[in-house]
Amino acid sequence: MTNNHLNIKLAVIIVIFTAATAFHTIERSSAAAATYTIINSPSTIITLDTTKPAGEITVPAGGWSFRNHVIPVLTRLGCNSGACHGAAAGKNGFKLTLRGYDPELDYTVLSRQSLGRRINKIEPARSLFLLKPTMAIAHGGGKRLDVNSLEYKVIVEWIASGMVAPAESDPHITHLEVMPKAARLKAGAEQQLKVLAQYSDSHAEDVTRWVKYSASDSSIATVDDNGKVKMHGNGETAISVWYLSQVSFARVANPYPNMISAEVFTKSPRRNFIDALVIKKLQTLKIAPSEQCSDREFIRRAFLDATGTLPSPQEVEKFLAETALDKRARLIDELLSSEDYVDYWTNRWSDLFLVSSAKIGETAMWSFYNWIRESVAANRPWDKMVREIITANGNTLENGAANYYVMHKEVTDLTENASMAFLGMSITCARCHNHPLEKWTQKQYYRMANLYARIGMKNGTRGGDVQIYTNPVGEVNHPRLGKPLPPTPLDGEALPLDSPIDRREHLAEWLTSPKNSYFAKALVNRVWKNFMGRGLVEAVDDMRATNPPSNEELLDGLTKDFVDHGFDIKGLIRLIMNSAAYQRSSKPNQTNSQDEKYYSRYLIKRLPAEAILDAISQVTGVPTEFPGQPAGIRALQIPDSRVNSYFLTIFGKPPRIITCECERSSEPSVTQALHIINGETINQKLRAPSGIVDTFVKLGVSDEMMINHLYLAALSRHPSKVEVNRLISAMNVTGEGTNQAARRQAIEDLVWAVLTSKEFLFNH
Amino acid sequence: MYRLDAEKAVSFCDGMRRRDFLHAGALTFLGLSLPDLFALRAKGAVNTEKDINCIFLMLVGGPSQLDCWDMKPNAPAEIRGPYKPIKTNVSGIEISEIFPRTAKHADKFALVRSLYHTAAAVHDTGHQMMQTGRLFQGGIEQPHVGCVLGKLRGPRGDVPPHVLLPRPIGNTGGNMPHGQNAGYLGKQFDPFVLNSDPSAPDFKVPDMLPPEYISAMRVDRRRRLREIVDSSVKGFEATADARLLDDNFHQAYTLMSSVKMREAFDLGKENDAMKDRYGHNRFGMSCLLARRMIERGVRFVTVNMFETVFNEITWDIHGSAPFSPISCYRDLVGPMFDNAYASLLEDLHDRGLLKNTLVVATGEFGRTPKINPAGGRDHWPQCWSMIFAGGGIKGGQAVGSSDEIGAYPKDRPATPAEVAATIMEALGIDLETELPGLQGRPIRVVDHGVDPISELF
Repeated sequence: MTNNHLNIKLAVIIVIFTAATAFHTIERSSAAAATYTIINSPSTIITLDTTKPAGEITVPAGGWSFRNHVIPVLTRLGCNSGACHGAAAGKNGFKLTLRGYDPELDYTVLSRQSLGRRINKIEPARSLFLLKPTMAIAHGGGKRLDVNSLEYKVIVEWIASGMVAPAESDPHITHLEVMPKAARLKAGAEQQLKVLAQYSDSHAEDVTRWVKYSASDSSIATVDDNGKVKMHGNGETAISVWYLSQVSFARVANPYPNMISAEVFTKSPRRNFIDALVIKKLQTLKIAPSEQCSDREFIRRAFLDATGTLPSPQEVEKFLAETALDKRARLIDELLSSEDYVDYWTNRWSDLFLVSSAKIGETAMWSFYNWIRESVAANRPWDKMVREIITANGNTLENGAANYYVMHKEVTDLTENASMAFLGMSITCARCHNHPLEKWTQKQYYRMANLYARIGMKNGTRGGDVQIYTNPVGEVNHPRLGKPLPPTPLDGEALPLDSPIDRREHLAEWLTSPKNSYFAKALVNRVWKNFMGRGLVEAVDDMRATNPPSNEELLDGLTKDFVDHGFDIKGLIRLIMNSAAYQRSSKPNQTNSQDEKYYSRYLIKRLPAEAILDAISQVTGVPTEFPGQPAGIRALQIPDSRVNSYFLTIFGKPPRIITCECERSSEPSVTQALHIINGETINQKLRAPSGIVDTFVKLGVSDEMMINHLYLAALSRHPSKVEVNRLISAMNVTGEGTNQAARRQAIEDLVWAVLTSKEFLFNH
Repeated sequence: MYRLDAEKAVSFCDGMRRRDFLHAGALTFLGLSLPDLFALRAKGAVNTEKDINCIFLMLVGGPSQLDCWDMKPNAPAEIRGPYKPIKTNVSGIEISEIFPRTAKHADKFALVRSLYHTAAAVHDTGHQMMQTGRLFQGGIEQPHVGCVLGKLRGPRGDVPPHVLLPRPIGNTGGNMPHGQNAGYLGKQFDPFVLNSDPSAPDFKVPDMLPPEYISAMRVDRRRRLREIVDSSVKGFEATADARLLDDNFHQAYTLMSSVKMREAFDLGKENDAMKDRYGHNRFGMSCLLARRMIERGVRFVTVNMFETVFNEITWDIHGSAPFSPISCYRDLVGPMFDNAYASLLEDLHDRGLLKNTLVVATGEFGRTPKINPAGGRDHWPQCWSMIFAGGGIKGGQAVGSSDEIGAYPKDRPATPAEVAATIMEALGIDLETELPGLQGRPIRVVDHGVDPISELF
């Protein structure tokens, strides 16, 4: 390690930090203190002198490098930002690549263009490149650079020392280290971050002053341009850093001001490894978990989360009466082997794969849907399922998975949507320039895109019948370089351009490899959110290094377990549903009402559109008819996104146009309220000649029995005596109970009230 | 036909007798009680002397400055484009020939020709910034300026303070859009969203009234029964979505009982000649509705001219499918805007409403000065134009200018943040006002140091 160009103080810090684990915690109580105490587990205490400003940079041994110093300076000063010379059209005839994604091109532009006027090698200080930003001569962008600054010195010295061009042999940045990695701060306290860039030749530089910082939750903490963090609220947030297309982050936390005895945490039930990791996080942040939920809460919750359906009154009564200790685990097993489970998860994956007749027609849509349904029914491992899509060949009506390629004919669509669906990651930015928040570069994007270059398609004889095959030739060109790059899955191994290996096989190999940390994580996170109400990474389509999970150990643990068990989705669901974390009450306690991130209680959520409509049909005993769909089909069983249902549309069924969880909305709206109050959906079911209201009227069921039945059917519980009495008196408010029409209206109103209540519309 | 009166007097559970649930209107609406409003007034956040409304026309897609408001007839053909400038009723101000009716009202409006933003050149960023003054970042959802007004002033009577017509902006290429709702202010301050097409022949607000077979007495009984069922889940109120559901029911009942709102939505009250003036299309009818809303006490109306830029003819003239050709400005989009906008100004002026109603029209960015190989123009946030009228705006002027090819502001560059500050200034909102952000952190309505475009007043 050649540390001669680093100041010695930094060298010491590197040793300390590389030797230690990620659990360094810096305790700091006052904003004014200039020394920190680093508690290095278990007992070493080191004191750092931080009276010197952060980010002192000295001239490296090999001199300033264009790639590693001049470009970061230009980025920090904003010269190559989208608003200035980094704009697609440049600015005033001078065009740099956005945030310096192509140093070679930038070098050419600076040294050759404009007749070489931009740089004066003999008298560096007279270079236009320096005269303009210092406003020695007029500059449209104003004064950006001070002649006494380090940034000025970097540029002038780089010119003076012969303007060495960027070369492949330059040391390349390999990763960033942020210090401290984690800190605990009180509200109002500040913390200066330091960032070290590590290079391929093993040297490191303090780049604190050139890094770009951002806070993921600025209501908890903010960070300024120089890396100084300021704490505002309670909780934990990540501060991410970006430098030369490398990213990293630090976590800062401010535990809630709660007094909770250690016993609360030690006594909290632990059913499997999930619980240990959830409790550990809660203890750190001083949040007490809620109690475990009751059996009646559990049965409704488990049915809805695993299958999207309500339990019948009989199922509820049977479950409540059972006394076996493992009855919850047994119920989970029953649910996971039910047909309703298959329907529900087929619908979820159909959302993810955008199953719709809009692009592929009705017949092919069914073929795709049936393939997904068979996969769910067989609990086909996730890696196998995705591999079958990626490597799909043959007739799309016989091999449903092959329709994925008919739906995504553009290589850019494929590259981007497949990353979203299978990696939970948006790489769209990198289509045109390096990703501003991620490590993905434009070159990586087009290496990835080139994996899809050889998909052949020809129409068959029947409608919707397309033959998918692998072309022996075909390339996707990098738009700026005008040539294809070796096909490479993001950070995977490159294939030579002339390799005979099927590129899609190569992609599938990388994608589904247990070593690919994104693939399994993305799926685990999606499934976790389905049950727990919030992804460990939120949003679930925003997995990136600068958006770390709320509980990293837990996501890692779940991912490892999922991979170790052969990508077994049902196994993952079973694990989650059996955890004490899943079986917590939704009722907040005094310490956790603010918490929506760390799973201290079950997060209540509005039911998905399809589940609400199916539940209304189920309770009223009047099925919903969907135009063009088989009679008796439930909303959750509809294969196509193109279904004409006002109810499903306003309640947020996704249109399946872009791959994004955000397409599905569970947000209540006034339109929904108006439809529930005045619309046809519920009102017609209440008036239907064959429904539950009819049955109640015909059989002359007593008010009390009616209420009891409704509560069991819709809310999966018995009503209390008080509830029964209050409802009966409110029902018969007009005192017209004798007249049969009036009686029927009162019953309709009662059923309406149950079906529009929050207890019904929410899972809790 | 729904009857406003029940068949007979009914007794209510609180022991009171009323003829009609419609009278059960609440003192609070959208969560803002009267004392709150008084408190805000006392703090000076709301200038009661200056009670100005706003109609915000979001010209989704991004109109070309060079083909609409900032003509460069002396520039080369590939810059100046196919359209010619015409004179307006104010000497020295010329606009595009695609807006002949609007040209007769230049005394009423002021152009700003030096707008720019520095975020990514995609639709979403401009939509966010023009409607909130800020870019979506750091996980904080910024509130739409109409929601800020709703929060600070509350409703006038039983109509919602902020209405969005006809639908929110959908997918324009990035993730789902931000900046169209109340953001961190809380969903109870979200706009009332129409969510239907007012130019449809059978247009009515979906489900505004109960079906005939449900009497007022039953509506009230249902409400009461529902409250009883929900009384066991008070704890749900810890969750934002559950609180929102309650607010939505409350808002729905308030709308049902608001004769004014029903009238506002009843386009049947306008004759065909009036509809023709505005243009019998989605935007024209939305602008007509906007006028009806303002007449009945709505404070802020947002009209989105389009919902998306894909497979629809819009301002987004890239020149090739699925986007729009430049010729659509003459054939479709231009006349659509011209008729609706001119009619709106005429009606508001004739009815004495223009002086207390600010009308703002803007896209999310401008378009590339040079016509592209497909014959269109691409995204260009470096320079564009927008129009202000009414609400105390000094008409008959152009503020700021662009360079000789409309590529960059030449003088008085203006940012979306300054536009937001200008709107708030016109609406009488003190720019120092702090709003309660997440975890109670105060957030100023506009950042410190951002000033209104003072030349406009």
